[in-house]
Amino acid sequence: MKPRYTTVLGGLLSIALLGVATSAVSAATPQRVKVTGEVIDSWCYLSEIMYAEGSAHYQCALWCAAGGVPVGILGEDGTVYIVLKLGDDTTNVANQAVIDMQTRKITVDGDLIERDGMNYLLISQVVDDQGIVNLTHEDYGIQPFGE
Amino acid sequence: MRAILSTPVFLAVLLAALAATGTAQAAQSWGLQNEEEVRFEATVVDLLCELTGDCPAKCGGGKRQLALLTDEGELVLAIKDSAPFAGAADELIDFCGKRVQADGLFSTNRGHKIFALQFVREAPDGKWRGANRFVPKWAAANGVDAKSKVAQQWFRNDPRVKKLIGENGKLGIGLEAEKKYLESE
Repeated sequence: MKPRYTTVLGGLLSIALLGVATSAVSAATPQRVKVTGEVIDSWCYLSEIMYAEGSAHYQCALWCAAGGVPVGILGEDGTVYIVLKLGDDTTNVANQAVIDMQTRKITVDGDLIERDGMNYLLISQVVDDQGIVNLTHEDYGIQPFGE
Repeated sequence: MRAILSTPVFLAVLLAALAATGTAQAAQSWGLQNEEEVRFEATVVDLLCELTGDCPAKCGGGKRQLALLTDEGELVLAIKDSAPFAGAADELIDFCGKRVQADGLFSTNRGHKIFALQFVREAPDGKWRGANRFVPKWAAANGVDAKSKVAQQWFRNDPRVKKLIGENGKLGIGLEAEKKYLESE
């Protein structure tokens, strides 16, 4: 019969290893994806404090992106992705390259990490850029102040 | 409800509420969808670091989105602070790696729960401060008085934004197309 402390130690070690494994899995389980959608301001879109899609919201989307609000992509199926990386650039607060993409319809390859109900997207590359094609200003004017 | 939320009057009221937020120490309603006033304790983490293990010093020095990691392991993205059109990274960067008490609003909408930070302090008993560091930082970076109209309307005066609007117009459709649209209104 093994000494009891060995059994206890083994048990603790197993629990510790299980914890490490679980942590590693939850920390990073990226899924390779291709996403097509409109670059959006995550705050205005998700809070719905104003109409936040297309050309009507372009100016405000620039304001929020420059202000450091997370930039997202609204997928064609309605899924919202938060952009955390663009190529090798890990700046995701007021990143100029991301600001420049606002409101454009793009297709990207990247890694998707889902955590606590949010979809975080690490873009490897932009494979298509259709420009600003969602022309919503005829219906919604210039958001949010009309000027 | 959506129509009300989109009106200039509502937005003016919201901006006033954002400004007023700096004068109290408990979350104030912004009238968001499925809004919940909350105060919780968490550790400030670099979001990308937490998700991928890519962890530069000092949470990326303000160039990365920051999140609040609760004791239950929930990762809460701080998406907004109290300054107009500003995120929360400038506010939370001072607390990188530290435990804080965060006070603000959860809003659950379109399948996502987002968090707007209104007040923060180092746990357990640091001094509360309004989550409004963005404008003074912007003012300092752009060489203007933080109390000036230029700084208070920072979004209309940000050189990066002005450059893009100067090139693409406020609608992003080009200056000529925008001119035709505005003349038709």
